[in-house]
Amino acid sequence: MTDIAKLAETVDEAAQSATAIAQLTFADPDLSGTAAYAIQRASIARRLGRGERLVGMKMGLTSRAKMAQVGVDEMVWGRLTDKMRIEDGGAISRAKFIHPRAEPEIAFLMGRRLEGAVSPAEAMAAVEAVAAAIEVIDSRYENFKFTFPDVVADNSSSSAFAVGPWASPYTDVGNLGMVMEIDGRAKQIGSSAAILGHPARSLAAAARLLAEEGMALEEGWIVLAGGATAAEPLSPGMHVRLVAQGLGQVAFSVGA
Amino acid sequence: MSKEKNIEEAARRLRTAWETGVPCDPVRDLIGETDVEAAYAVQNINTEHWLKAGRRLVGRKTGLTARAVQKQLGVDQPDYGMLFADMDVPEGEEISLARIMQPKVEAEIAFVIGDDLNDDQLTTADLLRSIEFAVAAIEIVGSRVAGWNIRIADTVADNASSGLFVLGHEPRRLGEFDPRMCGMVMEKRGEPVSVGSGAACLGSPISATLWLARVMAKVGRPLLEGDVVLSGALGPMAPAAPGDVFEARIEGLGSVRAAFAAD
Repeated sequence: MTDIAKLAETVDEAAQSATAIAQLTFADPDLSGTAAYAIQRASIARRLGRGERLVGMKMGLTSRAKMAQVGVDEMVWGRLTDKMRIEDGGAISRAKFIHPRAEPEIAFLMGRRLEGAVSPAEAMAAVEAVAAAIEVIDSRYENFKFTFPDVVADNSSSSAFAVGPWASPYTDVGNLGMVMEIDGRAKQIGSSAAILGHPARSLAAAARLLAEEGMALEEGWIVLAGGATAAEPLSPGMHVRLVAQGLGQVAFSVGA
Repeated sequence: MSKEKNIEEAARRLRTAWETGVPCDPVRDLIGETDVEAAYAVQNINTEHWLKAGRRLVGRKTGLTARAVQKQLGVDQPDYGMLFADMDVPEGEEISLARIMQPKVEAEIAFVIGDDLNDDQLTTADLLRSIEFAVAAIEIVGSRVAGWNIRIADTVADNASSGLFVLGHEPRRLGEFDPRMCGMVMEKRGEPVSVGSGAACLGSPISATLWLARVMAKVGRPLLEGDVVLSGALGPMAPAAPGDVFEARIEGLGSVRAAFAAD
């Protein structure tokens, strides 16, 4: 019998102390996806108990390339709390992470609640604004290695995020050029089309996946639709900037 | 054999492969793996041959415009090849596999030149003034070398592995789209097979084209009014199989399709 509370404590403490842990599936090879989402829920509940606030969710593994890179063949999602926010133009401390990587993303701001099976068009009708965003992923597992239940239990590797200025929800985010720079040099170049062919599909998938857990995308939530390119490892001293076609920029720096 | 003889022999080997449709061995055994100058000499022999045979030169292509691809081939600059009129495939026409060897597709921005660029000291301003319009394009690259077993000298000698190209039908002037930040997605059966952006092409397709225009002026084949420039891939290349249909969309520049015959 999987001890949800105990495992939630394990991943929560790993995140809090920035200490890598062994994959949960090493000790429990039969860990199910359902149990993994329960662990995620319980570990984030611990954060909420410490005063953090739920502000949205993130989608992960939203491209075949990404799925192939980590060897997991399903989309995953995780929760975003206010403590994970990085101010646009602000800084993060490298020491608070284990092996952080930055990913260029598209963010949606929900103008109203969205629940269950919806089409991408219906999903977009609930969006109040769109923006360029950078997610910092930081798997709590050693060597950034995991299986599907591992990554889900670990809040889908999510650890921090920065969102740029909000733009009109009528902006077509289907195929925007995305250039992520480190210290002014382009390191990752791609298009928002890498996100399931169109980020709106990821938003619709988000509503569907949340419904499986009895949840909905709530009004005012931020949804990160998934990485548009491979992720870039972060080290102290780096300045990270994402420019997205027509959406402007979002940036932060990495301190010690 | 003398170096000249080897260069002639390499040109003949590649030409024979092109004419017969049977891929050949690499030519690096004849001209060396890294001798780019000798490789362009090989390319030039075949260009002259084809011009004499009546093929019409209608443009150039820039290749190796992605840093990752340059690294793979151990070079730090792009390469170029000649585009002939018979390589232009009208959109909507099925591409017979007999016309192309070991095809792969790349999505690019094609520029059409409005003024002769016959000056050995060209600037960005000269180029921006002279571009008449741009269209989305799919380049169908092919290698005459069996199994794409190429090093830098092989691909340069082989006309930069150029094959065919399809131009889109929505010409845009500069200022009407963003050549550097434009998103690109190329799909097959609704799945993205390549995604990227203008910045993936040497920082900007304009920079790649300026490199080309300068080199072309220097080697005596300047870009002239009406010439087509395939400026370089905006994302990774994708292999093409019989029956495949690709659509490339470049944000702000429209779309273009390449359809391969089923057999």
